[in-house]
Amino acid sequence: MSNIKGFCCNYTLSVDLDALKKEGLVPEGLEIERLPCTGRLEVPELLDAFTEGADAVFVVGCQVDKCHNLSGSYRASKRVKYAKKILEELDMDPGRVEMFFADRGETEPVVEAARVMSERASN
Amino acid sequence: MCTMYCPRPVVDTYNERLDITRAPHIDYAQAIPSSYYIDAKACLRVNYQTCNLCAQTCTAGAIDFTQKPKELELEVGAVVLAPGFGRVDEKVLEKFGYGRFPDVLTSFEFERLTCASGPTEGHIVRISDQKTPKKIAFLQCIGSRDETCGNGYCSSVCCMYAIKEASVAKEHEPDLDISIFFMDVRTMGKGFDDARRRAQEKYGINVIRARVPRVDQVDGKLALTWTTGDGEHHSALFDMVVLSVGLESPKDADIISKVADIELNQYNFCRTSVDAPLVSSRQGVLVAGAFQGPKDIPESVTQASGAAAIASELLADARNTQTITVTYPDEDKALEEEEPRIGVFVCHCGVNIAGVVDVKAVRDYAGTLPGVVLYEDTLYSCSQDALKSIAEKIKENRLNRVVISACSPRTHEPLFQETLRSIGLNPALVEMANIRDQCAWVHAQEPEKATEKAKDLVRMAVAKARLLSPLEQPTVDVTPSALVIGGGAAGMSAALSIADQGYKVTLVEKNRQLGGNLKRLTWTLDGQDAAKVLKDMVKKVKGHKNIEILTNAEVESVSGYVGNFTSTVSQGGKTKMINHGVIVLATGGREYKPKGYAYGDSNRVLTQLELEEKLARGKGFLRNAKNVVMIQCVGSRGDDMTHCSRLCCTQAVKNALKLKEVKPDINIYVFYRDMRTYGFYEDLYREARKAGVKFIRYTPDRKPEVIKQSRGIKVRAFDELIGEDIEIPANLVVLSTGIAPGDNEELSKIIKAPLTSDGFFLEAHAKLRPVEVAVDGVYLCGLAHGPKSLEESVAQAKAAAAKATIPLAKGKVAVAPIVSKVNQDICIGCGICESLCPFSAITLQKVGKRKKAQTITASCKGCGICAAHCPTIAISMGGFTDEAIMAQIHAFSPDGCEEA
Repeated sequence: MSNIKGFCCNYTLSVDLDALKKEGLVPEGLEIERLPCTGRLEVPELLDAFTEGADAVFVVGCQVDKCHNLSGSYRASKRVKYAKKILEELDMDPGRVEMFFADRGETEPVVEAARVMSERASN
Repeated sequence: MCTMYCPRPVVDTYNERLDITRAPHIDYAQAIPSSYYIDAKACLRVNYQTCNLCAQTCTAGAIDFTQKPKELELEVGAVVLAPGFGRVDEKVLEKFGYGRFPDVLTSFEFERLTCASGPTEGHIVRISDQKTPKKIAFLQCIGSRDETCGNGYCSSVCCMYAIKEASVAKEHEPDLDISIFFMDVRTMGKGFDDARRRAQEKYGINVIRARVPRVDQVDGKLALTWTTGDGEHHSALFDMVVLSVGLESPKDADIISKVADIELNQYNFCRTSVDAPLVSSRQGVLVAGAFQGPKDIPESVTQASGAAAIASELLADARNTQTITVTYPDEDKALEEEEPRIGVFVCHCGVNIAGVVDVKAVRDYAGTLPGVVLYEDTLYSCSQDALKSIAEKIKENRLNRVVISACSPRTHEPLFQETLRSIGLNPALVEMANIRDQCAWVHAQEPEKATEKAKDLVRMAVAKARLLSPLEQPTVDVTPSALVIGGGAAGMSAALSIADQGYKVTLVEKNRQLGGNLKRLTWTLDGQDAAKVLKDMVKKVKGHKNIEILTNAEVESVSGYVGNFTSTVSQGGKTKMINHGVIVLATGGREYKPKGYAYGDSNRVLTQLELEEKLARGKGFLRNAKNVVMIQCVGSRGDDMTHCSRLCCTQAVKNALKLKEVKPDINIYVFYRDMRTYGFYEDLYREARKAGVKFIRYTPDRKPEVIKQSRGIKVRAFDELIGEDIEIPANLVVLSTGIAPGDNEELSKIIKAPLTSDGFFLEAHAKLRPVEVAVDGVYLCGLAHGPKSLEESVAQAKAAAAKATIPLAKGKVAVAPIVSKVNQDICIGCGICESLCPFSAITLQKVGKRKKAQTITASCKGCGICAAHCPTIAISMGGFTDEAIMAQIHAFSPDGCEEA
């Protein structure tokens, strides 16, 4: 079982993680951290997640043109890009960190993201 | 045929777009009129002048494309508006994923799914994958109690129908896990709270008090999140979500309003007032049903009858000027006396029977039975076409006994009896075998055994049919006057209506004055002066030439039967005999006097009515009042009275607003279980919240306590929202004590009208006959029937008046032929039958020197208790003679036919 860490903004994922786990819709090793906005994520935080044992890390924010805080998810996506670069430098698979976008309150994209990352982590 | 050959598929709107039909179709088999119609929008012939297939295939030549719309002009004395309700806009539903996620359904769609003749034959399946769901959630108040969509009112019916749909679903799929999300559980109808409790206990339906904000879909499952009163967040996934959509005003309400020149209310329903709930703003234009405000079936049926009463009042002079009498052909006595020639018709009832029982096998088996000359199967025996064809076949084959192997005689026998009558056969010559309820339904899992049992039942019915004999259909004259018992709002309204329709009325009131509970009311729920409403009513009653008022009077005995009652009424020690044709029970109810809550111990603890009386006298008593606490469901929905008293929530809200009006800085706390301010009363509830009245929910296991202190009183209660006990020093505690039944037992015995377990009078059928009781000629209205508001009482009184005038207007009543008959040669006059008869329909009369039993045929219900108990077997039942029943029992053994 791989450990997956997800950062979600407050405006995605309306369903409880436990409820999703109970139904077997998401990988067991998934951990989600909810943020007021993904725009506040810093690169070290993404990397720290790996240090703390995550096999893959993902971020889900609002659609770029519909971000609640205007440019929050855009900022997050830039930082994810930067984190990818660092992973490459460390000779790690840059695909182990990824940015996803979701419509307001949608849970499905988050679940989908968790599955994609779980897939990547097990390769 | 036309449906079969039509090349144009159209969406089946009757089945909520879940199925497909063709341009010519019939919505459902029992539709009225029961003929096919063509969807003009889809028809190729209508739109493109091509096709014409259906017209060519119709063997009856019933399709005529040259028909044009016609404009008719009718001269009428009254108009009744009953356009029903409209649908909540789909935009409102989109918020809850409707239209986006396939497994989010409306309750209307779900209703079709659970229907045996619906698109899935009653199987509950997900639209997305046709699989049976495991977890279903019902979301309440969709398009109701929601100002964001403009519907601030409560639709009144959704709580109960959701519970019904959930129960039906559980019957069909016992493993289903069903949760219903309520804001308040508003099951305030008569007997509804009992039904809700049963559903919760028997089916384990989860009741969750929370408003779900949106529906999300994850991997084909529907995700819901909600917050409960204790502040906890929850989420769970469901396989199906049902949106309990509310009732809106009809889409074309504006047009109706313009055409009929009537006023609408703020929600586009017809505007009426509390004292005249069925009358629109225009003279002679009446309204009934959901167009007057959201309501359920019993109330709609009641209002419909009530509107009919008002129309009859307006048209009293014209009564009997344009009647058409149905004539039946003379009975073919010679044919009836011939050897039995039996015809057996085995009904498919769509899939209701044929889905389980092998109908064709039963039909063929019937052919082997002695005396059977015709045996056939029909798709729906009760449809108009089938009845016509049955009639033709009876004539063709000269049948003189008919066995209908279908459903319950209770519901359908009259229909087939009518068919026999229409072709000159005595209606008593039909016998029914109930292979739907007793075979297909109860043995749904064992089709083979069900088929065998159906054969047994048919064999038994045939054996009995051979011994059926024609029965006479006697009629008796009617005394054209009514006795109304109870002089409250309901009794007076009923009396006025009957009197306005031109019949004499005797109004009996126990007390010194007319008025009943209305005397104690200060304001009606719509803010009118109750005393004025009462005064107007009393004035009209007193001034009416057709009404005789007996106050200080009580009914001591009632004898006779529909059309010919004789009652003794005692008034001030004297007794008076009154002859009348019908009885209206309007005996009312009374305010429940609470135990506990320091009621009676402290003068600061009042009931809502006592508060109103104080308020009416002036606001002086509020001079030093800071806090007022109201406690709901004192008495109701508890140990003393299990029923919901229906109007106390609205009454409390009304009085809270009144208190706020006279003293704006007063604090009002209302402790409630479910706020049941149904219909437009929801506006008052919202207004009260806006005015700062605090509403705090409590549960029956943690009731608020009223504690008497050395100085004053305080109320201690658990507040779910903060999770702590709170204490409120109260200057005034007002108890919403609800409505207890009056002293109905005595009268129930006199009239033999049964009571419910709550002590109210029981109607003959909750939905279809809401103002009649089981005894013919006795009608019911007001609080005697159950708790209800003034508005509802008045509507019901009108309905009772409408029903009561039917026998009066006819002048004659037909008596059901299935009655007991005493052979006075054998009768020994023991009187057992007289003492046992639940309808007072058999009496001992002197015949010569000895007493002999005699049946009062007009009162007899044909229950057969007398025949069963007669020690000398002197009593036989028409249609159920001992010989016929014995033959039926003998036929139970497969080779018993010959024996019998």
